[in-house]
Amino acid sequence: MPGRQLIMNFEVTPTSHTLEAYKARGGYETLAKALKMAPADITKEVTASGLLGHGGAAFPVGRKWGVMKPNPGEIHYLCANADEGEPGTFKDRWILEHAPHLLVESMLITSYALGVRHAFVYIRGEFDLPWRRIQAGIDDAYAAGYLGKPVFGSDFTLDIVVYRGAGSYVCGEASGLITSIEGRKPYPRNRPPRLTVRGLFQKPTVINNVESLANITGIIRMGAEEFRKVGTAKSPGTQLISISGHIAKPGVYEVEYGYPWAKFLDEDCGGVLHGAKLKCVVPGGISTKVLTRAEIEPLNLSHESVNPAGSGLGSGGMIVIAEGTCMVRLLQVLLRFYHHESCGQCTPCREGMGWMHRIIDRIVEGKGVPEDIERLYAISHANDGTTICGMGDAAGFATVGILNKYRDEFEYWIANGRSKMDGRLECLA
Amino acid sequence: MPRLTIDSREIEAKAGQTVMEAAREHGIFIPYFCWHPNLSVPGNCRICVVGVEDKGGEWVEIACNMPVAEGMVVFTASEKVKARRKATMEFITLNHPVDCGICDKAGECTLQDYHFEYNGERSVSRDAKLHATKHFDLSDRIVLDNERCIQCTRCVRFTREISKSNGLGMLSRGDHSIVRPSADGAFATDAYSDNVIDICPVGALLAKDFLHQARVWYLKATPSVCPGCERGCGVNLWHRREEWMLRSPRQAARNEGIDRVTPLDNPAVNGPWICNKARDIPKLLGRVRASGALFKGSPAPLEAAVLEARALIAEAKRPAAVVSSWASNEELQSFKSAVGTRFALVAKRDHEPQPGEVVQDELLIRADKNPNAAGVRAALGECAREVPKDADLVLVWGEGFDFRAVPPGAKIVFLNAFLAPENGHADVFLPISIQTERDGSYTNFAGVTSRFERCFAAPAGVLHAEALFPALVGHGRGA
Amino acid sequence: MRHLIPEFEKMKERYPAGFESSLVLPCLRRVQEDRGFVSDDDIVALCEYLGVPRIQVEEVLSYYTMLLRKPLGKVHLQACRNIACSMRGAEGVIEHLCKRLGVKPGETTPDGTFTVSTVECLGSCGTAPVVMVNEAYHENVTLAQLDRLIEAVVEERAVVNGVEERAGVVEERAVDKGI
Repeated sequence: MPGRQLIMNFEVTPTSHTLEAYKARGGYETLAKALKMAPADITKEVTASGLLGHGGAAFPVGRKWGVMKPNPGEIHYLCANADEGEPGTFKDRWILEHAPHLLVESMLITSYALGVRHAFVYIRGEFDLPWRRIQAGIDDAYAAGYLGKPVFGSDFTLDIVVYRGAGSYVCGEASGLITSIEGRKPYPRNRPPRLTVRGLFQKPTVINNVESLANITGIIRMGAEEFRKVGTAKSPGTQLISISGHIAKPGVYEVEYGYPWAKFLDEDCGGVLHGAKLKCVVPGGISTKVLTRAEIEPLNLSHESVNPAGSGLGSGGMIVIAEGTCMVRLLQVLLRFYHHESCGQCTPCREGMGWMHRIIDRIVEGKGVPEDIERLYAISHANDGTTICGMGDAAGFATVGILNKYRDEFEYWIANGRSKMDGRLECLA
Repeated sequence: MPRLTIDSREIEAKAGQTVMEAAREHGIFIPYFCWHPNLSVPGNCRICVVGVEDKGGEWVEIACNMPVAEGMVVFTASEKVKARRKATMEFITLNHPVDCGICDKAGECTLQDYHFEYNGERSVSRDAKLHATKHFDLSDRIVLDNERCIQCTRCVRFTREISKSNGLGMLSRGDHSIVRPSADGAFATDAYSDNVIDICPVGALLAKDFLHQARVWYLKATPSVCPGCERGCGVNLWHRREEWMLRSPRQAARNEGIDRVTPLDNPAVNGPWICNKARDIPKLLGRVRASGALFKGSPAPLEAAVLEARALIAEAKRPAAVVSSWASNEELQSFKSAVGTRFALVAKRDHEPQPGEVVQDELLIRADKNPNAAGVRAALGECAREVPKDADLVLVWGEGFDFRAVPPGAKIVFLNAFLAPENGHADVFLPISIQTERDGSYTNFAGVTSRFERCFAAPAGVLHAEALFPALVGHGRGA
Repeated sequence: MRHLIPEFEKMKERYPAGFESSLVLPCLRRVQEDRGFVSDDDIVALCEYLGVPRIQVEEVLSYYTMLLRKPLGKVHLQACRNIACSMRGAEGVIEHLCKRLGVKPGETTPDGTFTVSTVECLGSCGTAPVVMVNEAYHENVTLAQLDRLIEAVVEERAVVNGVEERAGVVEERAVDKGI
């Protein structure tokens, strides 16, 4: 077990997701406690906990909440971001499938703190079991009287709608998400205005990742001080890491911040698949820059350890890449993805993603030229901080991260018309 | 009132303005494709970036969505900004076809201008440009070239926010995004559809009537007023410059025609928009003209006809004049001071709404399809609606008069610009000029007076009504 | 689409007042679940019911990958081709499916039974490679498993995540007037 567990702290059984099982674990008791607090005090507690967002940006949750003071008469919305489209990431799904009531209770507490009367769970359209579990959880919460009517003797009522997407990565971006809920094409929005000022249907809206919200119940139950005892000073608490790729035991692991990275890979996750050597790791979703085995050695899984190494824990979507994997083909898969998912609104991303995809396709076809590498750098740079949403930047970071460390493979393919590593993406026994 | 500095110039902005708006108000130019002063701000083209000073460094962001802040220091042309603009131009032109040689927009194309200003170099891409539909019939009036489209969404936003037809949308996503009309045909019946031609910054949306007719630098724009209804929208009438006039006799007639109509932004009347009827002014004014004077349908010498008209008027005991609502204020003044007091005055609506025409809406279109009813009222007061039954002479001025209303036995003097069967009913018929052949003004329904200017010389043998009326004063048929 | 309106009315109850526009996506999903795709008539009826402009529905339909204007095969095999799946054999899975069924990605078998598509990350990287078969995720999928699935559908026309039942429902409702 990679450290203390705050969320995955129960045995998963065929019924552990049910309301009965959740209540047996102390479920909805924290809601009763929260409703006796002043809403502003809940936000204070969350701020004091230092909880950082788990969607990828690691923005302090309390600070985001702090903009949206509950004003009677003002309409506020809360959205749980369950779009989970970042390649390599599949941990919010764990919460939806196995701890749906943790999310519901957390959304109740959060909505009470923020003056929200209507909340949404935006779930990606492809998810089937996770959707059925969270919808059933919400239906059971309605039947039990936690939702839809004043609860625990307070005058606070919450309605939650589960809104299913229909296939678009950009719906994981907060402003794309709410535009999707508005029933329109999910184009992300420029800021200002911040969404906490004008969001869903132009009303103040907080969008939090599912895992971020899942932490709220624990924080209010144990208090910020207790929460801070877990993890590190700069990275309090835990992170759900989804590990996949060339790893022996892929899956979702709850890691206490500060846990040694190499130990996590070698011991908790069984080491590289088939005992192969580690080439590099995508730490937290494909927009985080790859780190080599050597670079990972001295690091622990915390923001303050990984960020100075030139990368980030992001969404916790960790992809393990074994020696012998062709990084040119790997980048080709990523650029194909970004090209497919570009919404097409703004110039650098709309034109740039297609351009990069065509360049790498041409390199893989054997028709690359040396200046293609500089062009990939230039397009990445021209998407850094220049676009409406972070997808342009993400594609640029992914590209630059791989080019910086594996430029030789690209130069080889351009010079020789074939892969330096026989073009393989798999790790064979 | 926040004070900020743009390019070392301190300006005072209004609270709530964006840097783009504040800069424009003070005559500082920041380039833009997707931004438009009368539409929402999508911030998608990214060309309007400016640099903002911050802690010894500079961050770059789009100006169209940047609120002004007290003490802000903005650079519109720093090295960082220039580099960013160049990169943006590279992206915008990445898949843009080099159609300039066959594209009507050449010469007034924002993309051309910005390419030269902010990049000016060949494409750096080694990969073929993406293809899309080259000639899509957006409607009977507009052709769409999707390859040229830069996805600025101005046209889509126009139909959503101004004409409210919701006729256009951007379908699909990424670099497959494509402008298309909604399948219910809302765009085809949008009475303001042609405005998207003007606001398109490139040659993606083009008027079919004007397609490949002339290079824009062959033409000059003469300010005018649309006579289509009593709104009196400002228009620019485009016609051949002297030095570009067609030489061959076969084509010479085109030199005397209007090639196209675009809006003239008049904040007091129509802003930057006109309805589609204004676009059809060339057809409206280009109808066959009455070319010579007539005596009961037989050609007559012009001078003799004028004298005959003068005599008939002098002889009449109870003359009535049916006044044109297309008369300019200047013609009305001339009429009033020369012969106005002689006549019982009757007001006329020269044109009525046609079947299928929008009668009135909340945007620009007004039910009175004549440009100067208000001018008539201002000059001559409230006039009768019908010809007095005892009139013994009727002076009919302009179109739309039902000649059955002429009392039996009364004489008719008819002034008309256009060829019509009724011209032969008159005892004396005199051909007169149209608004493109003289300077003048109309007053719209709200009392706003707008000027129009002369584009062409009147055809030979055609009179200006303004000069005619003084000549109708006097007796006898001698000069 | 009109027979679904009672369901839509119930759906609306959970939404805040004035959220008609929001219902575009859930209604389209339900229409597609019912008919197998969204028809022109559905679009007209939906715009009327919700009071939204036609172009909004057309834009939404054209944008999302999961919304269809034409029906696909009865069994839609969507194989993830993103990074973790590619690293665990997705390319072989896609190649096998295409060869076995004689189609290219995006195509439907001539008898209308199977459609093979390649899709981006499904959020199941830990159990790669993953193929979505209609609504269900088939995780840790092997070529042998896929072969067995295909055989079961072809030979026994087995219920695949309720598709057989749904096919019957679609046929019945296609006859129903007033849609």
